[in-house]
Amino acid sequence: MKNLFNQLSFLKKKILYFGLIIIAGLSLSGCTDLNEEVFSEVTESNFVASQSDIVAIMASAYTPLRYVMDWQGLFDVQEEPGDMFVTPTRPNGWDDGGTYKRMHFHEWTKTDWQPRNTWITCFNGINAANRVMLQMESGNFPISEEQKVAILAEMRAVRALYYSILVDTHGNVPIIPNYSDQLPVQNTRVEVYNFIVSELNEVIPQLPSKVDKSTYGRMTQWSAYHVLARVYLNAEVYSGTAQWQKCIEACDKIIQSGLFRKSDSYKAIFSATNETNPEMVFAIPYDQKYAGGFSAHMKMLLPGHRKVFGMETQPWGGSSCNPQFIDTYNPKDNRLKDTWLMGNQYNAENGNVEFVLTKEMPSIYSCDATQGFRCGKYQIQTGATGSLNNDLPFLRYTDVLMMKAECLLRTGQSDAAAQLVTEVRTRSFDNPADAVVTGAELQQNSGFKYGTLAEDGTIDQLGDQSTVQYGRFLDELGWEFAAEARRRTDMIRFGVYQKKNWYNHVPKGDYTTLFPIGLEELNTNKNLKQNPGYL
Amino acid sequence: MKPVMQVFKSTATSCYRDKMFFTILFLFVAFSSFSQQKISGTITDKDNLPLPGVSVLEKNTTNAVTSDFDGKFEINTKGNNAILVFSYVGLKSKEVKSDGKKLKVVLEADVNELTEVVLIGYGSQKKGDVTSAIASVKSEDFVQGNVRDAAQLIQGKVAGLSVSAPSGDPTASSQIQLRGFSSISGGSDPLVLVDGVPGNLNTVAPEDIASIDVLKDGSATAIYGTRGTNGVIIITTKSGSYNSKPTIEYNGYSTVSTISRKMNFLDAGQLREKMAEGYKFIGANNEDFGANTDWLDEITRTALSQTHNLLFRGGNDDTNISASVNYKGAEGIFEKSDNTRLTGRVDVGHSMFDKRLKTNIGFIASEQIYNALGDGTSFNPYIYRQALIRNPTEPVKDANGKWYERDVYFYDNPVGYIEETMGENRARNTRFDFSMSYDFNKYFKLKGVYTRKGNSIMRGFYQTKNHVSTVKYGQDGFASRSAEDYRGNYGEFTLDYKQSFGKHNFTALGGYNYEDNVTEGFFATNRRFPTDAFTYNNIGSGQGLQLGEAGMGSYKNSNTLIAFFGRMTYSYDNKYLFMASIRHEGSSRFGEDNKWGNFPGVSAGWRVNNEEFLSDVKWVNNLKLRAGFGVTGINAGQNYQSLSGLTYGNYFLNDGKWIRELVPTRNANPDLKWEKKEELNFGLDFGFLDDRISGAIDYYSRRTKDALMDYSVPTPPYFYGTIAANAAEITNSGLEILLNVIPVKTENFSWTANLTFSTNKNRIVSLSNDKFQLTNDFFDTGYTGEPIQISTHRVQEGQPIGNFYGLKSVDITDDGIWIIEKPDGTRIPATEATTEDRQILGNGLPTSYYSINNTVRYKNWDMNVNLRGAMDYQILNFSRMFYENPTIAYNTLDSAYDKVYGKAVLNDVQRYVSYYVEDGDFLKIDNITIGFTLPKTSLKFIQALRIYAAGNNVATFTKYKGIDPEVNRQGLDPGNDDRDKYPSTRSFSLGLNITL
Repeated sequence: MKNLFNQLSFLKKKILYFGLIIIAGLSLSGCTDLNEEVFSEVTESNFVASQSDIVAIMASAYTPLRYVMDWQGLFDVQEEPGDMFVTPTRPNGWDDGGTYKRMHFHEWTKTDWQPRNTWITCFNGINAANRVMLQMESGNFPISEEQKVAILAEMRAVRALYYSILVDTHGNVPIIPNYSDQLPVQNTRVEVYNFIVSELNEVIPQLPSKVDKSTYGRMTQWSAYHVLARVYLNAEVYSGTAQWQKCIEACDKIIQSGLFRKSDSYKAIFSATNETNPEMVFAIPYDQKYAGGFSAHMKMLLPGHRKVFGMETQPWGGSSCNPQFIDTYNPKDNRLKDTWLMGNQYNAENGNVEFVLTKEMPSIYSCDATQGFRCGKYQIQTGATGSLNNDLPFLRYTDVLMMKAECLLRTGQSDAAAQLVTEVRTRSFDNPADAVVTGAELQQNSGFKYGTLAEDGTIDQLGDQSTVQYGRFLDELGWEFAAEARRRTDMIRFGVYQKKNWYNHVPKGDYTTLFPIGLEELNTNKNLKQNPGYL
Repeated sequence: MKPVMQVFKSTATSCYRDKMFFTILFLFVAFSSFSQQKISGTITDKDNLPLPGVSVLEKNTTNAVTSDFDGKFEINTKGNNAILVFSYVGLKSKEVKSDGKKLKVVLEADVNELTEVVLIGYGSQKKGDVTSAIASVKSEDFVQGNVRDAAQLIQGKVAGLSVSAPSGDPTASSQIQLRGFSSISGGSDPLVLVDGVPGNLNTVAPEDIASIDVLKDGSATAIYGTRGTNGVIIITTKSGSYNSKPTIEYNGYSTVSTISRKMNFLDAGQLREKMAEGYKFIGANNEDFGANTDWLDEITRTALSQTHNLLFRGGNDDTNISASVNYKGAEGIFEKSDNTRLTGRVDVGHSMFDKRLKTNIGFIASEQIYNALGDGTSFNPYIYRQALIRNPTEPVKDANGKWYERDVYFYDNPVGYIEETMGENRARNTRFDFSMSYDFNKYFKLKGVYTRKGNSIMRGFYQTKNHVSTVKYGQDGFASRSAEDYRGNYGEFTLDYKQSFGKHNFTALGGYNYEDNVTEGFFATNRRFPTDAFTYNNIGSGQGLQLGEAGMGSYKNSNTLIAFFGRMTYSYDNKYLFMASIRHEGSSRFGEDNKWGNFPGVSAGWRVNNEEFLSDVKWVNNLKLRAGFGVTGINAGQNYQSLSGLTYGNYFLNDGKWIRELVPTRNANPDLKWEKKEELNFGLDFGFLDDRISGAIDYYSRRTKDALMDYSVPTPPYFYGTIAANAAEITNSGLEILLNVIPVKTENFSWTANLTFSTNKNRIVSLSNDKFQLTNDFFDTGYTGEPIQISTHRVQEGQPIGNFYGLKSVDITDDGIWIIEKPDGTRIPATEATTEDRQILGNGLPTSYYSINNTVRYKNWDMNVNLRGAMDYQILNFSRMFYENPTIAYNTLDSAYDKVYGKAVLNDVQRYVSYYVEDGDFLKIDNITIGFTLPKTSLKFIQALRIYAAGNNVATFTKYKGIDPEVNRQGLDPGNDDRDKYPSTRSFSLGLNITL
C-alpha cells in the first residue's frame, strides 16, 4: 500500500488545481449541457402568437391549393386522362417513364405521381385546416369568440373544398374530422360525399357574405355554395343518387346574391390581371414573384414561344390538343382562337414567323415539336417566367350558370337550359345569332367523332358509337371550360370517359373513374385498402 | 461574473469525479517486493539522451522497476548474477547481466514492425500489442504523384478501405468507404482526426503528412463512440522532435492531366454521313449548319498543375519546431475549372520542469480559391452535357461574333456558358491548437487539449448579359454573393496511467471531450444590371432589387457533442492481451430523453508465437490471434430534428397583400436517438521468415440497429410525408486480407509486394420498427432524371443495398422496340410494360476489392507499381441510356446506330432497361512511380535528393463502356454513372524531393 500512497501524494493540492483549471477552461459552456440552441427558426415551445400570426397560420390551409396548375397538379389529373389534352413523346423527350401514356391510356399505377400529388396535397390542406382549428381552440391565441367561430367555419369550408377534389379523384378516402395523432381510417365515397354536404350546409351561415378584397381567394358563403353545387351536380357519380334540384338551389343562392356577373370578355377571365374579374366566385391567386406555381404553360408552350410572347424563360413544349376536339368547334366560336394557339406563331419584336403549329398529332409515341395546337387561354405577359401572374378562376360564375343549365336540361327543362347556354355563348360569337342554341340541340349527341386515330389522322378503331345523352351539352362544357382542370369530371358524368375511344385511347373499364391510392400512402397506413380494380 | 464562476465550479467538480473514478480503479493493484542485491544505472538512447519510463525486469521473476526522468534506475535483485531485461515501446529490448557495477545501458530503436507504434485514439500502442483491426501507413509507403487529398495517399493500401475518385473536379474529395454500407442516412464518411483533433481530408496538405492510421473495427473505434461507425482515420503531420538536427525538406511536382476517356459522339463528318444516308434528324441535329466543331475540345484543355511543399524541422533539448508551407495549384480539364490551395502550418513543442510539463502550440491556416462556373459550385455539369449533345455542325459564334444559340429545349452553347460566367469562391480555414501535458510521475500523466477552428467562405458569381440567362431568360445580368462562417471549439482532457508489475502490464485512460460547432451564413442575388463591368462586386446596382426580383437569405445553427471515456489495457507476459473501453457520449441533436448513449468496446489478443511450444519454431516471428467487439454510433445528420419548429413559408394573399404563412418546419421526432452499430471482429496477424512474409487476416460482422432514416409517414396525422426515425437494421460482413511479401532483399536489390483483398456482403434486415412500419418491405430510390423520369434502385428487406430495379430487356422487335422479360418469364414489348414488370437487374456495390502494390529498389533506383480492382458489381451507364439512341433530339453516340442484340437499330424512346446495366469489374494501374535517389557521396550540403516521375490512373482494364468504372458508390443508389459526371482524369507528374 505504500506505493499507492506515494503515487497519490503526487496529486497534491497545487496539481489538483492545475488539473481543475484545465477541465473548467475546456468546458466553459457547460460540462454536459446539450440543449439545442435555435437561431433561424421558431420552436413551438417558445412561440408566442400575436394577432398578425393568426392569418399567417390560417394561410397554410389555402397555399397547398396552388398545386392545381403546378407540375403534375390537378390540371394534369383532370386533363391528361381526358379527350382534350395529349402529351406525346417529342424530339426533346416527354416519355418520362411512360407516365403521360399511362394517363392517356388510363393505365396509371399506384406509383404514378399525378394522382399521388393530388392525394398528398389535399391531405396537406386538410391537415393544415385541422391543425389551425386545434390551435384556435387551444386558447393560446389572442382571439375573440366571434373571430374563433369565423375561423373554424372557414377552415371547415376549405377542408370541404379539398374533400370535394378527393371525392372525385380517389373517392374512398379517410374523413379526418379533427386533428389527431391516430392513423386515419378509410371511408367510403358516399360517406365522403355526405360529409362534404353536411359540413358545407352547417358552416355556410357562419361564413362571410361580402365579396371584396378581404374575401378574395378565401371561402365565402358563395364559394361554399359553389362547391356544394359541384358535388350535387356529380352526386349520382359520388353517391348513386342524383341531386339536380339541390344543385339548382345552390346555384340560385349565388345567382340571387347579385354579387357576381358574367365577364363581358371571355379572354379577360384568364388574363394576368384577372383578380378584378366579376366572374370570380373562388380564385386561386398566383403571382410571378410571391406565389409561384402557375407553371402549366411551361408544359404546353414551345421553347420558341419565348420570342412569340417575349417571355423571360424557355418553355418545355409537351402537351397539345387532341385534333378530334379541335374538330368539334364551330369555326365562328371565338373560344377556338381564345383557347388555342394555332398556325403561324409570330415573333413579338419583328413580326417574323418563328414557327408554325399544326393540328395533326400522328401518335402519342411520336409527334414533332410543332405538331398539335397549344393552349393559349391563360394570357402570357411580356416578361412571363416559369410562373404566371394569372389567378386561376377555380370557381367562376359562368360555371354556376352552366351547372344550373345542365340540371334544368336533365330535369326536362331543356329550353330554360338553352336560354342560359345561349347567354353564356353570346360573348364568344361576333354575330349573336350564331350563339343561339335550342333545347332540342342540347339533347343531341356529341359532335365529337369518337374513335382512335391512325397516324394519318383517320379513325382506325371506332369503339363504342352509342349516343351520348346530352352530348351537345358536354361539348358546350368542353368549349367553355377547356383547360380549366375539370374535363375528366365532366366526361365521367356524361358516361364518355369509361366508354369511348379517342386519340390513342381505348376504354379500360369503369374502375378507372377513380385513381388508385398511392404506394407510399398504402405503405404508411395499414388502414387503407386499394380502390377496386387496382393492385 | 458570478454565474460564470458557478459554471466553472460545478463543471470542474463533476468532470473531475469521472477522472478520479478511472484513476482509483487501477490503483487497487498495488505491489511490493523485497530484495537481495541492489543494482543501479542509467539508460539512454543512442544519442545519449536519458530514457525515462523504461521497464527493468529481473529475468524469470516478476521483479521489476521503471527508470526515472533522468533515465536512472535502481533495482534490488533476488538472486546474484541476475539478468536484467530492459524494454521500452519502440526500442529493442536488451538483456544485460549485472556485473555489480553501475550499468550504462543504451537502447536502440527497434525497426521490427511489431514494435512500430500505431495510434489507437487518445494514445498509442505497439503494433504487437494491438488487439483490434488497425492499419498504419507511413509516408514512405504513400501513393506518389498527383494526389488530391489525404485519402488518396493510402488508396489500395488498407484492406477493407475503398478510396476512389469518381469525379475529376479538382475541388472534389475522394470517396471513402470502410467495411461496406453501415448507415442509411449517416453517410460513409469516416471520422478524420488531424493530430488528434477532428478535421477533414484537406485540413493539411498530403505532402505534410507523416503517417495515417486507420481504425477499422468497432472495438477500436468505440472509444470515439459517435462517428466511429465508418472507421477513424488518424492523420499525423510531420512534426518536429526534441534534439533533432534542423532540416529543410522540399517536395514538389508538376502534373499534366487529361481526360481519362472520351465518349464517341457523332462528329460533324459522321453527322453529314448519316444525313446523306437518309437519316432524318429532329431537334438539335435537324440540319447541317456548315461548321465543324468539336464541342468537347472547345471546353476542355490539358490541365497543368503544380505542388510545392517546404518543411522546416528541428529541436533542441527543450523546444522543437516544425513549420511548413504548401502550395497546390490545380487546373481541371474543363476551361475555368481549377483549385488553388495555400496551406501553412507551424507547430512548436516546449518541454519544462525536468521534461514533465510539455506544451504544444500549433497553427494551421489555409486559403482555397477556385473558379465558380456554377452559383456557389466549382463546376456546372450542365455545361459538360451541352458539349456532348450539341450539333457538331453548329459554329461556336455567329457571323456577328455572338454566341451561336438556337431555341431548342434545354440547349445552350457550352462555350458561351463558360465564357460568360465569372465566379470565384474563396475559403479560409484556420485552426489554433494548444495542448499541455504533465507527467506527475512515471505512472500518471495529465493532458489537456484545446482547439479553435474556423472556416469562412466568400462566394461570388456573375452571368453577363451575353449569357443565355439574359439572352434566353431575360435576367439582364445575374449576380450572386454568399458568405458562410463556421467556428468550432474542441476540448479534450485525459489522464493516463501506466504501470508494469513483473509480467503484468497495465495502462488506463480516462477522459472528457467537448465539441461545439456553429455555422451561419448569408446570401443575396440580384439582376438587371446597368453594366457587366461590376460583375458580382456591386450587387446593389442591379434593378432587380427594386422590382422584387432579388433574393436574400441568412441562417444560423449550432450543435454540441460531449463525451466521457475510459480505456484500460492489460497484458500478461507479452502473450495475453486485453483491452476494454467505454464512451458515454451525448449529442444535442437527439430527443430530450435520448441525448446520451454508451459505446463499449472490448478486445483480446493471444500472441501465440511467444508461447513455449513455438519458441523453437524460428521461422515464425509473429503469430497473434485477435478478437474484438465494439459498439459505435452515428449522430443524426441534421440539427434540430427532434424539435418541433415553425417557419414562415409560402406567401398568401390576405386582403390584397401578400403575407407569409406560418407552418411547421418538420415532423419533429422527440424519440430520436443514437443509431448504433455492433461489430464483432476476428483477426490473425502473422509474420514468418524474419517478416519476409507478414500480414493480417480479419473477419468482421457488423449489425447496425436503430438506423436513422427518413421514414415515410402518413399525412395526416403527420404534417410532412417523412420523418427522421430510428427504424432500420442493416448487417455487413466481410473478410480482409493483407499480405506483405519481400521476395528479394539484397543490398542492391529489393522487391516488396503488398497485397490486399477484401469482401463485403450487406443486407437490409429490416426497414421497420414498432412505431414505423412499411406495408411493403421496400422503397424505391435513385432517379434517372428527365426525360426517363423513373427510380433506379430498390431498397428492400432481405436484400443488399444497391439493387438496380427496372425492366429486363432481352430482345428487340424488328421495329426497334425493346422486348421486356417480365418477372414471370413472359415477354412483352416495352411499350406495354408497366412498373409492375420491373425486377432486380444487378447491384452497384462491388462484393470484393483488391490491390497489388509492388516496390522494387535497385541501387539508387526505385519503382512502384500499384494495381487496384473491384469485382462483381454493376453500373447503370447513364450516358448510353440517354445518348445511345438515334430517336433523340440531340447529338448521339456513334453506337446509337449499331444494331441492338445484332438485330435492329433502336427505335424506342429512352428507357431504363437492363441493356444499360453493365458489369463494372475492373483492374486499374493506379500508379506507376520511378524514382532516382542521388548517391549521398555526390552531395555536399544536401542530405538527400530524389527525383521521380509518376503516373496516376494510368490505365484501366474493364469491359465497362463508360468513361470510368469507378462511379459513385455512396448513398442508396450506388452504381449510377451520371451522364453529367465530371470525367475522371489521367495524370503524369515529375517530382523532386530535397532534404537539406
